[in-house]
Amino acid sequence: MRPLTVDGSTVVLGIETSCDETAASIVMGGSDVLSSVVATSIEQHVPFGGVVPEIASRAHVELIVPVIARAIEEAGIAETRIDAVAATFGPGLIGALLVGVSAAKALALVWDVPFVGVNHLEAHLYAGLLEDPDLEFPLVVLLVSGGHTMLVEMRGPGRYHLLGETIDDAAGEAFDKVARFLGLGYPGGPAIDREAQFGDPEAIAFPRAIPDSLDFSFSGVKTSVMNHVRKHPDVVTADVAASFQTAIVGSLVTKARRAARQVGAKGLALGGGVAANSLLRDRWVEACEADGIRAFVHSRAMCTDNAAMIAAAGWHRLGSDGPTSLEAGAYPGLRLSMD
Amino acid sequence: MITLGIETATHVVSVALGGDDGVLGMVEINQGRRHAETLAPAIEFVCRHAQVAIGDIAAIGVDVGPGLFTGMRVGIASARAMAHALQVPVVGVSSLDLLAHPLRHIPKVIAGVIDARKGEIFYAFYLPTTDGVQRVTEPRVGSVDDFNADVMARGQDVLAVGDGAFRYRDELGVGVEVADLAHPSVASLVTLARARVLRSDLEPLRAEDVQPMYLRAPDAQINWSTR
Repeated sequence: MRPLTVDGSTVVLGIETSCDETAASIVMGGSDVLSSVVATSIEQHVPFGGVVPEIASRAHVELIVPVIARAIEEAGIAETRIDAVAATFGPGLIGALLVGVSAAKALALVWDVPFVGVNHLEAHLYAGLLEDPDLEFPLVVLLVSGGHTMLVEMRGPGRYHLLGETIDDAAGEAFDKVARFLGLGYPGGPAIDREAQFGDPEAIAFPRAIPDSLDFSFSGVKTSVMNHVRKHPDVVTADVAASFQTAIVGSLVTKARRAARQVGAKGLALGGGVAANSLLRDRWVEACEADGIRAFVHSRAMCTDNAAMIAAAGWHRLGSDGPTSLEAGAYPGLRLSMD
Repeated sequence: MITLGIETATHVVSVALGGDDGVLGMVEINQGRRHAETLAPAIEFVCRHAQVAIGDIAAIGVDVGPGLFTGMRVGIASARAMAHALQVPVVGVSSLDLLAHPLRHIPKVIAGVIDARKGEIFYAFYLPTTDGVQRVTEPRVGSVDDFNADVMARGQDVLAVGDGAFRYRDELGVGVEVADLAHPSVASLVTLARARVLRSDLEPLRAEDVQPMYLRAPDAQINWSTR
């Protein structure tokens, strides 16, 4: 393998296949996104109201090489310019992860460049650095998706401290379950976001946060939505959606602010699929303005799963830890290593 | 012409390099079922010790199943990615063909039989020909009873080979002889893939045709938690 200094001209191919998105991206120097291609099998999962792992894995194996080829083509670079191949190796669906990891290692082998295994959660934290390379630490990041809800203090690149996380459902999971119960379809986040535009957010007072803790719980609010609708069958669905969304967003924002105060954060960043929610984005910015700290709200494309963030995180990991062994596998329950 | 063979469709991981005069090197790991962990290092090892530069690989053959879904995908994703990067043709060969091919000199109907779990098997029937074997039925998934009924219907003695035949050897009907436990042959894979590439002028090869042979619809089990 040719010797490698990781610097501003280092080009990384990132590959992401942890859930239903098949994505590839070329990023230079950890922040210059030359291309970012995302294909999704979401439509195939809609009839089931959730991601079916086997269907996702089947889609990945069909899409992976065409998506990578397109990312390279759109970046307008020669394959010989690629200095490393990074892929998500956890957490996520094992069969899905293995497709991306296998393709990445095969490419690294042929091109004789390093392979870098990337933690998907860490990549979501780096998504912010892609759009705001001059982040100031410490920073509190709320990572909120279908699989995760966690508040992380980012003390510097690669240095994290867990402040709080969900004790039951992830926020995105609560959106999916409530949307399904209300007959709004799947995926639940966008469905509730849409329906809520037509409802009164104050119509129903659903329970919110666990007091005095930075941990989250969403199964209580989900149950009260179901109980309320069963007790009041004539309730306006849009009001339920709007009130439910307000309760979830209220809880997320309240705890994020408290966390920021607790660690003296310079800013509050929002990442993960649920960060695409309109109300959450608006409330986030308002809260940061009120508290006099910077709000980092990534573009929707950078919130949801993508491979640019994998390439960026891969660039950082390559610089700090060097290449990952070709003997690495995929780790569905991979955790973020915390201080 | 150097051909790389990748076989990960059963619990075995095997890799071979084939040249114009046969196999140049081969690795087979029969235990552990760690396809993704083993495959790339195995390719690197075979190439290094057979003194073949990866850039000299001119074609890739891959076992496309039927077999273990996850294993098939590891092999196919790797083979297609390598073929793309090397800009060489990639050929998919069925695991059942790779069980039958090594028995081509036996003048008997051969059945390739792979354990499909859930009480089922993947199987197909073959006849020996002058230069190999010819598949005479489409690969299918079924019970041992289905298999026995198919054998009865053929009315000929059958030599059954593969982990499925071995597992159910006591339940296979009269007229079925069971071969020693064997796995899809990566040596046959490089031979068959090479032959296919040499024919590609007449029948063009397309990488997108190299897809897993599942023979089963996905289990539509909802995964509410991806944590």
